[in-house]
Amino acid sequence: MGKILRLSLFNLRKNKKEAVAIAFLTLVSTMMFGIFAINLSKVSNAFDESFAQSGSVDTFIMIPDNDYREAYRDILEEDYGFEDVRNGHMLFGLATGVLRDGDKIAYNFTFLTEAENQKIDDGNIIEGMPDEQIESLDHWIILPSFFKYNLGYELGEDFTTVVGGRQYPFTVAGFYNSGLSNESGMLFKAIISPEDYRLLTPVYTESVFLSFNAGDDFNYREYFTRCMDESGDSFEGYAFPKEEEKANETNFLNMFLYMSIILSLITFVASIFMVRNKIRSDIEDQMERIGVLEALGYKGKEISLSYVFEYVVSSGIGGIIGGIIALMATPFMNNIISVMLGREVLSSAKIYMVVPVVIGVIGLILIFALNKARMVKQFPPVVAFRRGIRTHNFKRNVLPLTKAGKSINRRLGFKDSIRNIRTGAGVGLCIFLAGTTLLFCMFTFVMFFNGSDGLVKIMGMEISDDIITINEGVDPYALSEELLELPEVRMTRVTYNYPTFRVDGQKEGVVFSYDEYTDMEYIIPMEGRYPQHDNEVMISLRRSRDYDLSIGDTIVIDNNGVKTSYIITGVVGAMSNNQMNLYMTTEGFRRANGSAMPDCVEIYLEDGVNREEFESKLISIYGQSAETAMSGDDAGGTLEERIQAAASEKIAVLMSTYGVTSVDYAVRVGDQLITGNSRQFVMKELQSYHDLVKSQLDPIANITRMFTGVGAVAIGVVVAVILGIIASSNVKKRRKDLGIMKSLGYSSKDLMTQIAISIMPVTIAAVILASAAAIVINKVFWFELFGAYMKTNIPVLMLTDLAIIAFTFVMTYIGAGKIRKISVNELMTE
Amino acid sequence: MTNSILRTEKLCKSFSNGGVQQHVIKNLDMEIREGDFTVIMGSSGSGKSTLLYALSGMDKPSMGKVIFDGTEIQDMNNDELAVFRRGNCGFVFQSIYLLENQTVLDNVLTGALIVQKNSPELVNKAKELLRKTGLNEEAWSKYPSQLSGGEAQRVGIVRAVINDPRILFADEPTGQLNSASSRDVLDIFTQIHKNGQSIVMVTHDLKTALRGTRVLYLRDGGVVGDYKMPNFGEDDIKERRNNLNSFLEDMGW
Repeated sequence: MGKILRLSLFNLRKNKKEAVAIAFLTLVSTMMFGIFAINLSKVSNAFDESFAQSGSVDTFIMIPDNDYREAYRDILEEDYGFEDVRNGHMLFGLATGVLRDGDKIAYNFTFLTEAENQKIDDGNIIEGMPDEQIESLDHWIILPSFFKYNLGYELGEDFTTVVGGRQYPFTVAGFYNSGLSNESGMLFKAIISPEDYRLLTPVYTESVFLSFNAGDDFNYREYFTRCMDESGDSFEGYAFPKEEEKANETNFLNMFLYMSIILSLITFVASIFMVRNKIRSDIEDQMERIGVLEALGYKGKEISLSYVFEYVVSSGIGGIIGGIIALMATPFMNNIISVMLGREVLSSAKIYMVVPVVIGVIGLILIFALNKARMVKQFPPVVAFRRGIRTHNFKRNVLPLTKAGKSINRRLGFKDSIRNIRTGAGVGLCIFLAGTTLLFCMFTFVMFFNGSDGLVKIMGMEISDDIITINEGVDPYALSEELLELPEVRMTRVTYNYPTFRVDGQKEGVVFSYDEYTDMEYIIPMEGRYPQHDNEVMISLRRSRDYDLSIGDTIVIDNNGVKTSYIITGVVGAMSNNQMNLYMTTEGFRRANGSAMPDCVEIYLEDGVNREEFESKLISIYGQSAETAMSGDDAGGTLEERIQAAASEKIAVLMSTYGVTSVDYAVRVGDQLITGNSRQFVMKELQSYHDLVKSQLDPIANITRMFTGVGAVAIGVVVAVILGIIASSNVKKRRKDLGIMKSLGYSSKDLMTQIAISIMPVTIAAVILASAAAIVINKVFWFELFGAYMKTNIPVLMLTDLAIIAFTFVMTYIGAGKIRKISVNELMTE
Repeated sequence: MTNSILRTEKLCKSFSNGGVQQHVIKNLDMEIREGDFTVIMGSSGSGKSTLLYALSGMDKPSMGKVIFDGTEIQDMNNDELAVFRRGNCGFVFQSIYLLENQTVLDNVLTGALIVQKNSPELVNKAKELLRKTGLNEEAWSKYPSQLSGGEAQRVGIVRAVINDPRILFADEPTGQLNSASSRDVLDIFTQIHKNGQSIVMVTHDLKTALRGTRVLYLRDGGVVGDYKMPNFGEDDIKERRNNLNSFLEDMGW
């Protein structure tokens, strides 16, 4: 046995580079598998632990105060049998602007007092100012933990919200563990003082919330339907169940972990392939030695083990280091999970989760190695002395040189490729796996290259620069025409403020409606066409797939019991609004809801227009909200200002309470005539979805871009190592042939080119297959996760394919550089 | 007097063996003339093969110059030497060194296509040369492992001359062949030489050396004897053998 071990150690010393490469691949493989094993459950557990510590109920729903009926609570208690249903009030601000470092970002916010928050969770402070310090602040705010861990807010930092062009400055007084509403894609729940709550009440929509523990089976959509059926009124309700919160917080993290599994698989397959390839070439190379050992009485099994022992050492070292790195990465991973979840994550490294991974990876590599090493049995001593049957080649002469084209190197390269078809298949598999992942990474990386712009394009909704929600009685078309007169405005559209329609037998959907679908920038049908008539509808891809709906099928909209049929004319990929959007013409919308008038004007600005300045201009022309005016906050200092403020307050009351649509006034004070009208009350709300989309999607875009970028580089390194080793072992195996070729006048460059070319047919085939796989995976991924239709970026596909092929060529060429070291003299005297 | 095609100036070649320098060729001045069939002889370890590789650009000298047709090749890098060898040198080896995975015809063309463009004429030339060496069409599609030693060496010779090299170098070309095959191979060399090919051959075999027109004897890293003979077949073979034998005996062979 000592001799066998010496043979293994001899092989190790002789092939240091290959041993290091196998150790590296095993290291990467074990490390990635280990990180996956340690952290997959941690992501889920971290959320669950944090949620449990928050003392939160598992669901709360929110209904605008005006629409709320006590019966809705009764339904929960009586029909659903939920106990301890608590209700309270909160302010809801869709796309609330927040200033930070001179930039305005928007989040969906609810604001509530500490007492009201206690009805949802315990409001446990993670980090906060002492009470006496909080009391000294004019306006304090306690934010959910996401702002600390993900957005990096600190105690004492300014937190200025912007609503309707007015700023409301707060000071961050603490961070609390919010079980629900701790996620940028949905809603944040912030605690403010009762005084500030009163101050903000006119500027936000006050809503009633109902909080309760519903369990996993609660269907809030069904609940809302039941409520509407009960009251006969329709309303826009929102629900925040734990499971959705968890999915939203953990989906991306899990996606990254699964991507790490793919990378591990590539390196794992590559490790196995390399080990098998190397064992074969070692056995062929050392055939005479095998013959001698067999002649001396060593069994084939013992000799096979000597080849496997070599990999016990190299993959063992790599596997153990990989496992240690996976353990050591725990604080780093905790930090990443903490940032991504926006929650505190404390978890020690669990060695028992890594050990099976290390043993599994090394064990599997060794099983494959042993399986290959058994080929020693094929060579009894006499055969081994004659170097097996390697030299007896009776194959058909494929690609004869008599028909060689202009390049002899190309021809010889292709001949070599066909001769080494088995090695080629292994390389092809590695390139296929790596190429598929790389292409997916590149699609995603390029999509997120400009932040969230790529995601915006697949949301399935128009993202205008600004949206004005108008006051009741205001003519949206007249406003639209008026806005078009402004030099900054490129285009306007009149629409409804994203109402929801119930669909018979299906999930409800947010409705997008326009007079006509021309010049659409983001709503682009992937199939069929836009609706043109009032009985037509276009649906989202998710709705189409989930309910097996095709163009020409019919869906029935149920609006308060009135049922209206629509023919489907097209399908749109849409990741917004539960992925269940509906698209109609304005006339089509009126068929289902004849009483509703369009109440929104979407504004698209010319290039280069400063949006902040334009918004200020809009506010100065179309004024503040009626609710704000009613609160009397705008009273100025001079007599004229005070009169105008009083008049505004009166107009606001007339408009909001009595439905007056137009008012003109004139007040004479001495010689002075003070006039005004209700024009400034045109605008109920001014929002920008750009800011909201930016705040919701930019963090996702940034981390995805980083991850896919790092992933692409990592794959590149792994592939480079694999190709380098393949080329290097190819040189070793063909040492004699290459020496002969050199003696014939082939330069090292010629021979390196031949080796690089020999890998091209399999590379090109693998890249074509990888392209097809990546296209499918990209489409399935985006649809399954976000319901979006992902078009294949053909230029990126082509460029990446070319880059992979070029990279493979260059890496193999460089890897074959060992040829330079073979002198003809060395060959002759060998 | 024929033209000098290759000459050396103070050529030295040494090897390091366990830190000890071994000087195999020492300050050697010599020249090879166009059209000669030069045979290099010497006792074992005298540096015959080392000299052959240095002359042919297969190996770099440690010092001194190798001037091939007016071009100094000693300072060329490996790739420059490879390109230089393509058009100027042909090689026949003792171990033959055919490419095992290529057919006879492809082995010949592998040597040819790195120098010349593929053409029906080139393929015909390869076939014609193979035919002349006694390898008929049936053998062209065979692999080296299907050939006898003599057949394989004939392929090696055709591969070496397909590009019409300035000098054909041969290192013990009959070293692994039986006597019948050796004779066939040497006949081919004689025929090639008659056609005007310059040949430099290393051998320790008297029968092989008889085919030459000039014998250089190497000892202690230098040429100590230079013996000239008429073309093979132009004189009496017995007398030729005796004369060469006597020269070699004088050299201490």
